[in-house]
Amino acid sequence: MKHSKALVILAWVSGVLLLWELGAYLLTAVIRDPMAGTKLPYPQSVVVTLGGNWRTLGQAALVTLSKATIGFALGAVVGYLLAVLMSVSRIAEQIAFPYLIVSQMIPVLGLAPIIFNLVRDMDASRIVIAAYITFFPVAANSLSGFKSVETDKRQLMYSYAASQRATYAKLMIPSSLPYFFAGLKIAAPMSVTASILVDMLGSKSGIGVKLLYSLYGGQVDIFWASVLTSAAMGIASYLIVLLAERVCVPWRTVALVDTGVRHE
Amino acid sequence: MNMPTVEAMSGIESRPIIDAMSFIDHRAKAKNLINIDHISMIYKNSAKKEVVALKDVSLDIKEGEFVSLLGPSGCGKTTLLRIIADLLDPSAGSVRIAGQSPRENRLRQKYGMVFQSPVLFEWRTVRKNVCLPLEIMNVPREERERRVDSQLDMVGLSAFANSYPFQLSGGMQQRVGIARALAIKPDLLLMDEPFSALDEFTREKLNEDLLDIWHKTHKTVVFVTHNISEAVFLSDRVFVLSPHPGRLSSVIDIDLPRPRTQDTRESPEFFALVSKIRKSFEGVYRLS
Amino acid sequence: MSEKIAKVLLPAVLGLAFLALWQFGAFHSLLGLERFQLPVPSEIVEALAAHLPKALSDCGVTVSGAFIGMALGSLLGFAIAVVATAFPSWGYGGLVIVSALNSIPIVALSPIMNRWFSSGMAQKIGVVTIVTMAAMAINAYRGLADLKPFSLDLMRSYVSTKRDVFFRLRLPNCLPSVFTALKINITSAMIASIVSEYFATSTAGLGFGIKDNLRKAEMAMGWAYITVASIVGILLYLAIVFVERKAIAWHASQRPVNADGVKEKRKMRAAS
Repeated sequence: MKHSKALVILAWVSGVLLLWELGAYLLTAVIRDPMAGTKLPYPQSVVVTLGGNWRTLGQAALVTLSKATIGFALGAVVGYLLAVLMSVSRIAEQIAFPYLIVSQMIPVLGLAPIIFNLVRDMDASRIVIAAYITFFPVAANSLSGFKSVETDKRQLMYSYAASQRATYAKLMIPSSLPYFFAGLKIAAPMSVTASILVDMLGSKSGIGVKLLYSLYGGQVDIFWASVLTSAAMGIASYLIVLLAERVCVPWRTVALVDTGVRHE
Repeated sequence: MNMPTVEAMSGIESRPIIDAMSFIDHRAKAKNLINIDHISMIYKNSAKKEVVALKDVSLDIKEGEFVSLLGPSGCGKTTLLRIIADLLDPSAGSVRIAGQSPRENRLRQKYGMVFQSPVLFEWRTVRKNVCLPLEIMNVPREERERRVDSQLDMVGLSAFANSYPFQLSGGMQQRVGIARALAIKPDLLLMDEPFSALDEFTREKLNEDLLDIWHKTHKTVVFVTHNISEAVFLSDRVFVLSPHPGRLSSVIDIDLPRPRTQDTRESPEFFALVSKIRKSFEGVYRLS
Repeated sequence: MSEKIAKVLLPAVLGLAFLALWQFGAFHSLLGLERFQLPVPSEIVEALAAHLPKALSDCGVTVSGAFIGMALGSLLGFAIAVVATAFPSWGYGGLVIVSALNSIPIVALSPIMNRWFSSGMAQKIGVVTIVTMAAMAINAYRGLADLKPFSLDLMRSYVSTKRDVFFRLRLPNCLPSVFTALKINITSAMIASIVSEYFATSTAGLGFGIKDNLRKAEMAMGWAYITVASIVGILLYLAIVFVERKAIAWHASQRPVNADGVKEKRKMRAAS
């Protein structure tokens, strides 16, 4: 008998929370670790802190997210257009494809300090980095989408003597949308992470700053609350893309590999 | 099925007589629509060996005829159909359709094609799928709506106009494919084993429906199949092809009376023709 | 033949053109930068050559951290996938938890690990392990659980034990997905390792090197370190691709495209 998915998830989450509680108890009461608070806090104290500080935490999160979103949108648009170009022109594909693969190897987050050094402006850095992080997964996945259009469908359009423009508008682009969103789902949490990293490089506000300051300022509770907030931001960004996908791609399609249909 | 026009209604009542006459008529004075002249198709397969898909095939198809290209796999029947559709370039020989090349024919959107799988776009409703070629051809909206409605009516799927393909059975999806092919009012209908993926019962029903549509629209139909009964049931003439190399081995006239029904399938003449065709394979058919 | 040459030549030409533009200051004038802010390729190469031994040893530190963490994370992820397969109704939750853990940004994980472990290497491994678990868990689960129709029925008809089914059917079936996860993980592991070094108490490694050199305004060295990190990442990725080719030579992804050999019209390909 299959248990409902919600029930299963609830059971697991409760289990994890229980273990967490247990672990925190062990550290403070049993082992009496002096550093217990910084290693593993009690779940309830974290919740309390979250409740008490949600306004400041929320504001910080918003600052981090807002610029990242602009970069994300920019990267997504440019990435998709590049994929269209590579799909239309063999030469463009041959030139750009290896770099597309290689770029996924470059430790992009490692690039962040360097980009910040170059650009100097906090906001501009966030946008540039988020765009860069989004650009390549979106382009690679969208290209994969264009290439996966079944031959039969292409032949159908060919038999109608459809112009290239019509073929793209009516066949290629709708077909590629599920793959486009797969790319976005990979890029979204990464953009959030990158934005938080930029915070830490010298911003005055943002969740990354909260993380850093609370850590070095000894405010353990706020630190953990910030960690949870940033995790929530990552999950939320993924869910937002998921929602957008439900809206834009309402037809039933083949399930794609969750963690990224890359350059295969 | 719905019969909206007076013309069609009167057709049903007096069909046997009219059809017998038009049968004699169209045989007598129909001119050739398609001339296939010494077509050969040779290509290299993945093991770099040369495969002769078609060797020196010549045949003619008359206007308004329903012909089948029949044979086992590897005999080149699909290849030949694709050459007519300008989806393949032959290695040698020429094809003329109403005096024009396949390419010109395709560019002027003169044929409708139905594939083995329905090839519907998952993101479009049934109605929008049938509409697709009309959009590409820039047919004005009102005309588009009219044609889509009438085609869906003709294949009996008006009730499903706003459904998505995944909500329909295989047979229904294929009917949408047929409606779509007819929407552009082509002179020629090319069908590549359109019913081979369906079960026997659905297939026989769709055979009858197809003949129904053909009677109403008087198109020329080139139908590819590997099923001997299907070919005999549907066609005026059957072109039998054999493999290795792909070539035309015989042309069988099917002089069964029209309209053809379930009774036709039971008739001794039907069995005789099926038998005749089957025997013509026995000497020729080899496993590769 | 000319198609193959074009495949290598065109990107190479673009790459060289890019480097040339960079060297001769095109990007500097475009972005309004001074020479000391953005070092040119020749300077980067010089800096690297001058400090090669240190760069390589730092590289070794980072890579070993990434490697060990990836191995641990992949094993754990695989174990979670096995549990999820063995207990189909309940195991699903494990995957959800792992995905949730995966959403914690590396930048938040790193300070946590810094608290838990005292050695820089251990901190790094901790971060990388968590980061690589999810990709392996999800992919391995897909490989173990998504079997071709009727294959389970086939095994059942041979009266196979669950163990048989696992080793003879599920395990080989999941290899392609496992390799996909490994390819994804090698990239994530390198990034996680480097970023972790930004925060960790270690005084070695590529991440540390980048941070340190930027702090000392040694831009060329910083770029050199990034270059080394990228090259190493590419080499490791290629190593996995090589192993994959040998290990799953039977899989569809390893076959050449267009195995039917029929020449479709060129126009149609151009329209695609």
